[in-house]
Amino acid sequence: MTERPNPLLIANTIDEALDAVSRGSTPIAGGTDLVVGARQGNKRLPASLVAIDRVEELQSIGLDSDGSLSIGSGVTHATLMSSTVVVTNYTALADAAALIGSPATRNVGTIGGNVMNGSPAMDTGAPLAVFDAMIQLSTVAGNRQITTSELWVAPGQTSAEPDELCTAIIIAPQPDRSGSAYVRLEYRRSMEIAVVGAAAVVTLGLDGTIAGCRIALTAVAPTIVLVDGLESLIGQAIGEATLATVADLASSQAAPISDLRASEQYRSHSVGVMAKRAVLAAARRATGESISVPVNRSIGVGSDGQRQWEAGAS
Amino acid sequence: MTSGLTSRNGVRNENYLNLKAVTLEPRPFPRADGPDKVTGTGRYAADMVLPGMAFARFKYAEISHARIVRLDTSKAESLPGVVAVITATDVPDVRYSPGVADRTLFATDAVRFEGEILAAVAATTEALAQAAVDAIEVEYEQLPTVTDVVQAIAPGAPLVHPDWQNYEVSAETEQRPNVASFSSIAHGDAEAGMARAATVVTSRYVADASHASPIEPRAILAQWEGRKLTVWSATQVPFDARAGVCETLDLPTNQVRIIVPHLGGGFGGKCGFHFEAHIAALARAAGRPVKLVFSRKEEFLAPDRRREGMVVELTTGLNADGTIAARTGTLLIDNGAYTADAAFFPQLAAMLAAGPYRIPALKIEASLVYTNHQPSGSVRAPTAPQACWAIESHTDELAATVGMAPVEFRRLNGLRSGDVGPVGQTYGEIGLQACIDSVASRLTGETGTEADEAIGLAVGWWPSFPGPSGAYIKIDSDGAGQIITGAQECGTGAVMTLRQLAADELGMAAEDFELVYQDTGVAPYDTGATGSQTLFNNGRAVLLAASELADQIRQLAADHLEAAPSDIVLSDGHASVAGSPNPAVSVAELAATAAGAELLIAHGSGKPGEYPETVGASCVGDQGVAAWASPQFSCHGVRVRLDSETGVVRVLNVATCHDSGTILNPLGALGQVEGGVLMGIGQALTEGTQYDEDGCQRNPGLLEYKLQTAADAPTITTQFVETTGGQGPHGAKGLAEAPNVATAAAISNALAKLIGSHVTQLPMTPERVWATMTDATPSDADRDATGHDTSEPKSGDEL
Amino acid sequence: MTIDEQGSESESIGYDLHVNGQTYPVEATLDRNLLGVLRTEIGLTGTKEGCDDCECGACMVLLDGQPVNSCSYLAAQAQGRQITTIEGLGNADQLHPLQECLLAHGGVQCGFCTPGMIISAHALLERNSSPSRDEVGIGLSGNLCRCTGYAKIIDAVLDSASNGSVEPTP
Repeated sequence: MTERPNPLLIANTIDEALDAVSRGSTPIAGGTDLVVGARQGNKRLPASLVAIDRVEELQSIGLDSDGSLSIGSGVTHATLMSSTVVVTNYTALADAAALIGSPATRNVGTIGGNVMNGSPAMDTGAPLAVFDAMIQLSTVAGNRQITTSELWVAPGQTSAEPDELCTAIIIAPQPDRSGSAYVRLEYRRSMEIAVVGAAAVVTLGLDGTIAGCRIALTAVAPTIVLVDGLESLIGQAIGEATLATVADLASSQAAPISDLRASEQYRSHSVGVMAKRAVLAAARRATGESISVPVNRSIGVGSDGQRQWEAGAS
Repeated sequence: MTSGLTSRNGVRNENYLNLKAVTLEPRPFPRADGPDKVTGTGRYAADMVLPGMAFARFKYAEISHARIVRLDTSKAESLPGVVAVITATDVPDVRYSPGVADRTLFATDAVRFEGEILAAVAATTEALAQAAVDAIEVEYEQLPTVTDVVQAIAPGAPLVHPDWQNYEVSAETEQRPNVASFSSIAHGDAEAGMARAATVVTSRYVADASHASPIEPRAILAQWEGRKLTVWSATQVPFDARAGVCETLDLPTNQVRIIVPHLGGGFGGKCGFHFEAHIAALARAAGRPVKLVFSRKEEFLAPDRRREGMVVELTTGLNADGTIAARTGTLLIDNGAYTADAAFFPQLAAMLAAGPYRIPALKIEASLVYTNHQPSGSVRAPTAPQACWAIESHTDELAATVGMAPVEFRRLNGLRSGDVGPVGQTYGEIGLQACIDSVASRLTGETGTEADEAIGLAVGWWPSFPGPSGAYIKIDSDGAGQIITGAQECGTGAVMTLRQLAADELGMAAEDFELVYQDTGVAPYDTGATGSQTLFNNGRAVLLAASELADQIRQLAADHLEAAPSDIVLSDGHASVAGSPNPAVSVAELAATAAGAELLIAHGSGKPGEYPETVGASCVGDQGVAAWASPQFSCHGVRVRLDSETGVVRVLNVATCHDSGTILNPLGALGQVEGGVLMGIGQALTEGTQYDEDGCQRNPGLLEYKLQTAADAPTITTQFVETTGGQGPHGAKGLAEAPNVATAAAISNALAKLIGSHVTQLPMTPERVWATMTDATPSDADRDATGHDTSEPKSGDEL
Repeated sequence: MTIDEQGSESESIGYDLHVNGQTYPVEATLDRNLLGVLRTEIGLTGTKEGCDDCECGACMVLLDGQPVNSCSYLAAQAQGRQITTIEGLGNADQLHPLQECLLAHGGVQCGFCTPGMIISAHALLERNSSPSRDEVGIGLSGNLCRCTGYAKIIDAVLDSASNGSVEPTP
């Protein structure tokens, strides 16, 4: 009889977790992807697991000495959406976390799990991409940091090595007068998966025109798409023409598939709408206006503030 | 405009003047099953365990149409832990189904939909059972699939059942190639009427299939003790399930007992006979109890109970004054591969396509069309939400054509008390107009509809279903009562309300009675939780039993109090002599006396209400529901908001009004209406089964088949018009299905105001709304460079 | 109740689960989810299974006071944590105020979603003792109910909140 690895190690420290991963154990945090996948027969549960949900070092949100935000990979969506620093400075990420699944999913699901699952429909992906987040991958030998576009290589596939564990997500400080937002198309007001989505971070100049803008798109390509060609917006005021340009750029750079959630044409069209709204909400937040998290529910369709999309654009 | 007070046959309807919708104050409703359900101690079928029980799994076709070349279970049989593997050769060769006997328990020569069962396995664990299922080998010869109802009836289409002419059918069933059941209703001369009409409007609407989706997936546990079989099943219709087991396994009814633990909802999805016989046969082969629990995916794929897809074509001729001159219609209903209980759907759908309107000339033809889809079956108000959505969307198109407000068009053409219906039935007091008034006043009472909001309404109707039913009531020596009823509680509270009916009749409290129910071994027959018939029919039985028991108590009290039985009054748990100051005697004391003599036992059944006659109309393929008994009427109105850039629609407020006769339990009735409305919103916006080109479901799960959540729930206000004449207890009609008729239609009409035309496919998903906006309106001239609509928004705040 | 339907060959592992204030030793294979272990090993069947993918919420339990879909949580991973099921909230003789409110408002019909709904409502009220109607809707959105249209459930939770009936998790 061959020797079996420990089927489940409950790690209390990063070192314990890394050691188990180095010996072939698969990390599990909330289990929402792994266990559901196994139940549906998509993928068998790995024979050896290391539970990392009790590693306190992975559960903190803090500022590094250079002012960067460091989010432990074990931080849950529920924590992210209510963290003051995230809501204040990286609001798009809070918008996204607040939209994931149900309260229960948000309680156990972690940002690390979301990021390492590599789904093009992941809600936290586009916000991390627009913030130029670095993903910290660790082994028993040490750490390395890579960009999100280096990490996500194909649907459900990352460039991480089997012995690497995602331990943190690091985001540099955003310039003054910046705001961000994540908006997604959803058919119900909750329990949705992104049909398409868009995150934007907008920095305004002192004159109120656009000084910087980054947009990323969810569920319109094999991985999260960063929109190119936004330089033309620099110096422009936020208005209907600017937003129309944003929508066109986003729609034209989307390369979606048709599936049971939406057709290619509808996705291409609606991702432009999402991009436009994300930019508008981000710009309003950049002026210091408070739009509560998630922006989908505070000014999305079905909320009392829905008309603000139009009001803000004119 | 004609007076609303005079019906077509000239009789003045004074009754209508008195009819008014009211908001009912709920009476406290102590559910006997309530504590069990909120504390988690209540047992559902999946919770049941028996010593030595094995676990069942089915081998499904996973292909929608093929001839079976080879089916080999030998590898599965030899696997460890496997205690039985059965196929068609292990059960009697019986072809069954009400209406058209077109199916067998296990596939024999061919499979005709992806969820068809080839074999059943029992093993000591679920994992071992699944492993055995996976080891079953099947070789197929693929056959051409039929997935489209229009193509299915075209000449030369491949036949789903080549042998259809040899199937046994019920007497009136009208079959055709690839048509399991055809019905038509005709009244007057529709062609001549159309020729004389000032305007003719034609519409075509297509509804996708959808699902009942109760939150409890079905579960069955079967055990043999000698020749006696007990099956615990999550069924809405235990007596139907018993009949199915007896028919397919060739057993007498007195050897089969079906017990339903608490039932976790049904909505029709658990009507009919499903898998009880498969599990019973497995248990017999295994020599031990066997249990089946469905996954959610199986719940979507395997049962013969989806809500049917439908293609509706309607043509209506209008007179210059806006009255309807004539209507013709053709409905194609997707039956799927087998008929289940759907043979009567064409007749129901034809009546729904006529609608609750005055139509002097009418011809509607409806066909139940075979395809290689999952079979259709009665899901809450079968055919109604789809057909009503089509006819009521069409009705708003009619109103627009003659320049009338939708609500005025309905007031003008809608049925009134004393009118004659589509098949010549003369109505008594009906509350349709009062329902319209009630909803219209509440919806338009709100001010300030924004440009992205609109209100819309629709009317609906639905029959009640008289049928046989029975109950016993007894009071034992301590004065504690028991109601032993064949009725089935599926959550609506209908069975729970029986306690109140009996208690009121006996001058006792609801809490004085416990219920013994959903067990075919101890109670008399009832049709089950189907057709909104539980209180309608079993309420009659319980009232009769209570009345008989009251007579027994009065006789005892008369002896005790030395008075005439007719002078005995029952109230507050006591019997007393009317007008006498003498002390009363408690029912408990009388029961103690009876316990030593003639026992307090009563039974009730009663003659079911009669179906009205059809007069001056022809009904081909009559399945018994040509004229509707105790017809129910309703009006639903909604306020919706549209995100015009994405097509996403939210329903903000709903106003409903129902004529279901006397409301026996207001709190329960409100629960039925609110649940029906939310189901209707799902049907309108998010709930649709998608099929691939081979006829297999693409979204058999709750992530991609989207039920409405608590976050989507609108505010709902409800009133009732308590008309007289319902054939149920105290003048009640049915209720549970009627709220699931008109909601989707009301949403369609509100939405059409915002986008300029109706969305012609159900569900009206954001993408379909967007496509309709992009295709239909506005014209290119109304668009600016970004594609924004710059035209003036339509007024959405008028009905 | 096994997760792995291919016929698991893995060995059982032993661990303790703390449920409703009591400790239960469990021997089960790693792939067993918390829902299955609660229902079949520990015998608490009030927690229900309604779907395959965290969509219905019938399996909701509290883990250290937070709502969790027990269908997609490994039982072994719950060791050392406090698990509360519907059976831990109240009983027929002494209903929890949420249970009472739900019955009084007519928020219970078939009852299959009810245990999970009560667990989620309990967690919601602990996070937010005076939620708005919309916050209740969002808070309960992970629990599907097919019977009630949610109106009476939301009424009941709001009523319970206004009576200050939130009690600490036992």
